[in-house]
Amino acid sequence: MSLVGSVECKTRNVDSIKKAIWEAFRLIDYKLPKAEKIVIKPNMCYYWDWSTGQTTDPLFVAALIDLFREEISPDVKISIVESDASAMKCKYAFKYLGYEKLAKDCNVDLVNLSTVEAEKATVKVADEVFEFMVPKIIRDADLCVNVPKMKYMSFTKISAALKNIYGCNPYPKKFEYHSKLDKVIVALNKVMPFNLHVLDGLTVCGSKTLRLGIVMASQDPVAIDSVAAKIMGINPKSVVHLKLAEKEGLGKRSFVVKGANIDYFRKRFPEKGLSEKAITLGYRVACKLGLDKRLV
Amino acid sequence: MEKINLGVIGLGFIGKVHLRNCLNLKSVRVVAAADSSKKALNYAKSFGVKQLFTDYHELLKIKNLDAVIISLPTHLHGECAISAMEEGKHVFLEKPLARNLEEGKEIVLAARRNSVKFVVGYPLRFIPEFVNLWKEMESGVLGDIQTAYAVNVAAGPFFYRAESATPRPVPEWWLNKDLAGGGVLMDLGSHMINLTRWFFGEIKEIKAYLGHRFNLDVEDHAICIASFEGGTTAIINVGWFSQEAKIGIELYGTVEHDSFLQGSQSRVATAIKLILGRTPKFFAPYLKELSYFIDCINCDSSPPVDDALKDLEIIDRAYRNWIDF
Repeated sequence: MSLVGSVECKTRNVDSIKKAIWEAFRLIDYKLPKAEKIVIKPNMCYYWDWSTGQTTDPLFVAALIDLFREEISPDVKISIVESDASAMKCKYAFKYLGYEKLAKDCNVDLVNLSTVEAEKATVKVADEVFEFMVPKIIRDADLCVNVPKMKYMSFTKISAALKNIYGCNPYPKKFEYHSKLDKVIVALNKVMPFNLHVLDGLTVCGSKTLRLGIVMASQDPVAIDSVAAKIMGINPKSVVHLKLAEKEGLGKRSFVVKGANIDYFRKRFPEKGLSEKAITLGYRVACKLGLDKRLV
Repeated sequence: MEKINLGVIGLGFIGKVHLRNCLNLKSVRVVAAADSSKKALNYAKSFGVKQLFTDYHELLKIKNLDAVIISLPTHLHGECAISAMEEGKHVFLEKPLARNLEEGKEIVLAARRNSVKFVVGYPLRFIPEFVNLWKEMESGVLGDIQTAYAVNVAAGPFFYRAESATPRPVPEWWLNKDLAGGGVLMDLGSHMINLTRWFFGEIKEIKAYLGHRFNLDVEDHAICIASFEGGTTAIINVGWFSQEAKIGIELYGTVEHDSFLQGSQSRVATAIKLILGRTPKFFAPYLKELSYFIDCINCDSSPPVDDALKDLEIIDRAYRNWIDF
């Protein structure tokens, strides 16, 4: 069983968030390693900012940076990474979502993974072989920290820690992978394993946006995603990429939550209603049938 | 009556809306479409458009083409509209007229010089609830409208595809001041300035607060205070910062008050109708404005060619009279 730390954080400021993250680390008995180079991967899936619950709060990342500088070294080199996607370009996302300001204020680098040096890597998932370019900055980092959100996603049911690493694939035309998304998510996590996963659940996006105020941490992406799924009212066993990730040795779906009771957050999480579930299903069927091409 | 032969130039989101609406107009035949994207041209082909061009200049050479709908990025409005007018084609142009006053004036001059019908698309004027509110105001039952509040807050460039499941790539020109001529004030502000001018007459003075939540080069929200020649003072609130759309106007008269505020259209209902080949509610005002343009051609009536230029003049003044907090 893997440990997942859960802490309530009601106030959105750097000090409160930092305290909550530190407490989550303590709960899972995580000791920050010695590191010279740290990579932080927030969720910047689109241009909607933190207030919508769809992207990682830059204040949350600022708290992590503060923590690393205090606990590891003031000179540690920190890079915030993201890659271009079908509908999102880093050069805009960094600016619009407040990361350009954060980089300036906190003296960290912003790195578009689609434009940096990368090496070819081959990985096998469920008898299928995938080839990806792995950015050198991730491969060379002493500590890779994943800072996902928790969201519903029509193709994979949930988007949390494992799905966030999908954004480390430098290839921008990510929609090309949609037909085998589950395998690709697992493959990318295998080829770019992150050391630590710190979930920003301050504001979440369920059937609606809500200030949920949860911070979670784990070294196991499968376990933290299983907890996220539970909070979102989804049986982790029904999430294909979680099952596959466990099979491929990325982590365990069995977990022990230490800290705040997840039932408290589960009750408050704005779950999808039946009609929303039907819409998601309808959209997936329409895509399979190619009917989405009739849309404007 | 002979059918009008129409060409659609630009097949982005609104271009596609116009294309599909044209198919519902009995007096129109879409004979050609132009877009730099082959994918977009394939979309037009799937709706039976035969002549497809990646260069709109080729489309304009079609002899029996009567009119064009131009839904191109704002920086291309001037060159495309003037080229079409010089070829003697009637022009329906998406708002805003142009990215600046100089370009706008050149378009209007070209329309006059070539005696072609020229309409700039302002669909809000064709929403029945706005028309009814305008009629109510004109009837005098609200008394004299002293103050008003006009709002158009939406996602702007950051809006989702119709099926609501995946985000849409943002065209880069939209956020480039040189190419778009401005931000939300140019985009949604032009709608609301046109609408309030229709309601209250010409604007005497305007001041604007321009906000930058998303650190864009252009403003993503703006609050304008406008005073009208008729005596009304209005607040115009426009923004690109919200996933939920709200468009409307509140009228505060010396006798009574009334308003019309419209929220987001159901994206799911829109998607289902599009998939089934039906016309979503969202398309209706766009269909009516197109119908008005076709009527102007058929009945040889004269739409006010410089109306959109007045909107542009006001926007230009607002940009120059910005309020700093």
